[in-house]
Amino acid sequence: MKLSGLRALVVVACAVALLSVLGLGYTVSNLETIASNELIPEISAAAGMALASSYASTMTAAALEDMAVNGRTIGLRTAASGALAILYRTKTEDELTAIITGTADPMIRAAAINSMVIYLVSTKSDKKDFKLTDYLKGLATTGKTHEMRLAAAEAYYFANRGKLKAADLEAQAAKSDSDELAYAAGETLAGFYLSFDAKTQAQLEDLAINGKTKGMRVAGSIALASLLIKSDKTANDFETTLLSIAGTKTAAYRNAYKIALAERFGS
Amino acid sequence: MKKFVLIVASLVLVFSTFVTVVGQGYTKEPADAKIITLGVAGTAYASLHPGVRGGTFYASSISGPKKWNDVTAHETSTTMCTGMMLRGLTTLNPITLAIEPELAKSWDVSKDGLTITFHLRQGIKWSDGQPFTADDVIFTYNDLYLNKDVKTDTRDVLQLPDKSFPVVTKVDDYTVKVTTAVVFRPILASLAANILPKHALAQDVHKLNPKVPAGNFNTTWGLSTPPSELVGMGPYIVSSYTPDQNIVMVRNPYYYHYDSNGTQLPYFDKYVILIVASQDVSLLKFQNGELDALGIRATDVPILMPQAARKHYNVLVKPDVPNYGTTWVGINQDIGLKEGTHTDLRALFRNLAFRKAIAYSIDKQTIIKNLFNGLGVPQWSPVSYLSPFFAGRDSYGGPVTEKDAVIFPYDLKKAASLLDSIGIVDTNGDGWRDYKDGKTVEITLTTNSGNTLREGECLIISNDLRKIGLKVTFTPVAFNTLVNQLFSSTGEMILLGLTGGPEPNNGANVYRSSGGLHFWHYSGKTDPTEVEKQVDQLLKEGVSTLDNNKAFAIYKKYQLLLASQDLGLVYLVNGSFTYAYYDKVGNAGVSSPVSTPSANGGITDICYFK
Repeated sequence: MKLSGLRALVVVACAVALLSVLGLGYTVSNLETIASNELIPEISAAAGMALASSYASTMTAAALEDMAVNGRTIGLRTAASGALAILYRTKTEDELTAIITGTADPMIRAAAINSMVIYLVSTKSDKKDFKLTDYLKGLATTGKTHEMRLAAAEAYYFANRGKLKAADLEAQAAKSDSDELAYAAGETLAGFYLSFDAKTQAQLEDLAINGKTKGMRVAGSIALASLLIKSDKTANDFETTLLSIAGTKTAAYRNAYKIALAERFGS
Repeated sequence: MKKFVLIVASLVLVFSTFVTVVGQGYTKEPADAKIITLGVAGTAYASLHPGVRGGTFYASSISGPKKWNDVTAHETSTTMCTGMMLRGLTTLNPITLAIEPELAKSWDVSKDGLTITFHLRQGIKWSDGQPFTADDVIFTYNDLYLNKDVKTDTRDVLQLPDKSFPVVTKVDDYTVKVTTAVVFRPILASLAANILPKHALAQDVHKLNPKVPAGNFNTTWGLSTPPSELVGMGPYIVSSYTPDQNIVMVRNPYYYHYDSNGTQLPYFDKYVILIVASQDVSLLKFQNGELDALGIRATDVPILMPQAARKHYNVLVKPDVPNYGTTWVGINQDIGLKEGTHTDLRALFRNLAFRKAIAYSIDKQTIIKNLFNGLGVPQWSPVSYLSPFFAGRDSYGGPVTEKDAVIFPYDLKKAASLLDSIGIVDTNGDGWRDYKDGKTVEITLTTNSGNTLREGECLIISNDLRKIGLKVTFTPVAFNTLVNQLFSSTGEMILLGLTGGPEPNNGANVYRSSGGLHFWHYSGKTDPTEVEKQVDQLLKEGVSTLDNNKAFAIYKKYQLLLASQDLGLVYLVNGSFTYAYYDKVGNAGVSSPVSTPSANGGITDICYFK
């Protein structure tokens, strides 16, 4: 039952999205074919990332929530999760909190992260001596789920961005109070590697592969993805690279190529 | 003319959501349409592209408008909307910054420079389909700007050196004559003031309709006015306003700008301003794709960069191009004057040595390094760094050398010694400086909450002032509270900003002792200090010559005097131009401190979705 319902919805998605995706050379149908093949998970997921906006405009939240959990491949689950993230932009703080801290599948909880960050950054309190950054840091360490901790960690670095320089972030990406804080420090650090403390592609590749901690590898990976997107490499080039490094190097390094490929697919 | 307005916003007081009724538009391009030469070689717009119509553009504002009345508005939260709805006789070209025709299609200047004859565009209409004529111009100047019953800062920038005002007369339906008793150099810039529709507003002006009470126009076009009653000549008109949520503007069907392909501007069908009370949330909304473009801060750059390529947006960073405008700490020399309170604090604030001590306590380099990621320049003058009249130049429009800059280098010892010299010392050993009677000097430093950059500046400044024994408490407050403090002279030290532009006289409403925004010393209007008298005189002289080089020399004196001897406003830092926009917004790459797609200034109506 689930599958047939899903298929019907996908057909609708194709009809609508053809118009918007054709210009980039990839139709929804092409992308669904790629997303449905999980041989190289990163390629499948990249196609899923590119499908997200199309699915958000053509599928219901319920169908997407189902697909995020039961989708056959990582690509389809990624597409659904990405689409849900778009639909969740209109959720209230309470609704998002319920999703992100609830018992839903991690793919659904992940969809709430971006919008949750907006609420977290705006947190107000009547409590005397309330300090937003302390609150966020605490939540990033003790939050009920990984997704809530990650949203809080991202909000923490966002709220602190004027105070932290690359060196501070490097220290925190290497060692922090929680995995999520280290990860978010790496995400923020990537911005410095692309602007005020620019690194070369070779340096970023090295960091994404050999970075000593996950946070540092994330910094390298995210900054590397930006350079790859700006390069003149084609989707084919990125697919070839992902094939050649399948299951090797690091997840962070492969992730950079996945993000770049998703962009070429039209995400 | 862009009079200086406070970069402030306010809470919305009245709820109103209505739908605008608009006309059908021109059946063919008016003969006197203004052609924006997009993509035409040899013109200012050569590097830009004609676009296509359609789509809804999303921008944000930290607060909603206080009113729809452009004539009486002080704050950018209002003028960002009214600036979209209205146009003036002249305007600044957003690319070249030269003054060019707007509602006037041309003008002739008499040999003595005292009379300008404006030839108005014919066949163009207000957004409700009524014809635009000389009567609208005469009404706007004679019955609004120059009518003392109307509270407007524009009068400050129209005042001539002999304290008279331009005389605006109708020659015929499409010709207007503006005569000045004396030479007034910035007259063309001043006549960029927006023109209002006589047919829609005349009945609200007491002078023209004695049935309405005196001062009635000051509350006309308030937020309770249905948007369907708002009429404009600009690219957009207000369609609906939902307080704390959004302002929806729709294309004016009678806008008279066309591109080089004959397509009527603006390109966007709708222009929506989301009201987002926090700049941080705006930034996240931009990243989330909910806003199409956003003015950003230097500290936002590293946050935006990681996703820029993937999400297809651009982060413009121009380190060598500081923004127009000023940020400052205003020291209220009238604190408690009306109420008969704060006698000691007022005397202290009126002491130049104290104000110099504050200036020496401001660590501009740390502010630039920590809050602006190095993207900024120290500011010391009321005139914007980019203006050809900026006193950091050696000549009109010459390179910035800062040879004569009045710099108060960060020096807490010097600041402490200045306080010592005026008897503000710690008399009881508690670590805080006291008045001569032993009472502790306590000062509140305020800025608008939600502006993290200003809050950061306040923290750095208050921390340094406390190091030299001044018991300064930083208290961020809501915008409307801050504005009320400013206009009622009840704030002590306030950190805020003012818009700016190339023409120094547009700051006359701020720096003239009788100016409507002379908020740090309103009593200067009746009891000016010697320095204020000199400033007033220099403002007069600066507009009395048509020679820009002579005017430059005068404005240089004016800037040096304000920076060294007045210090009612202690200037801080001018951030470099930083801006973010999605790739899909065509022509947005030309964004500059003067004009961006998300703020009025000329390129809003030439941006389009690719």
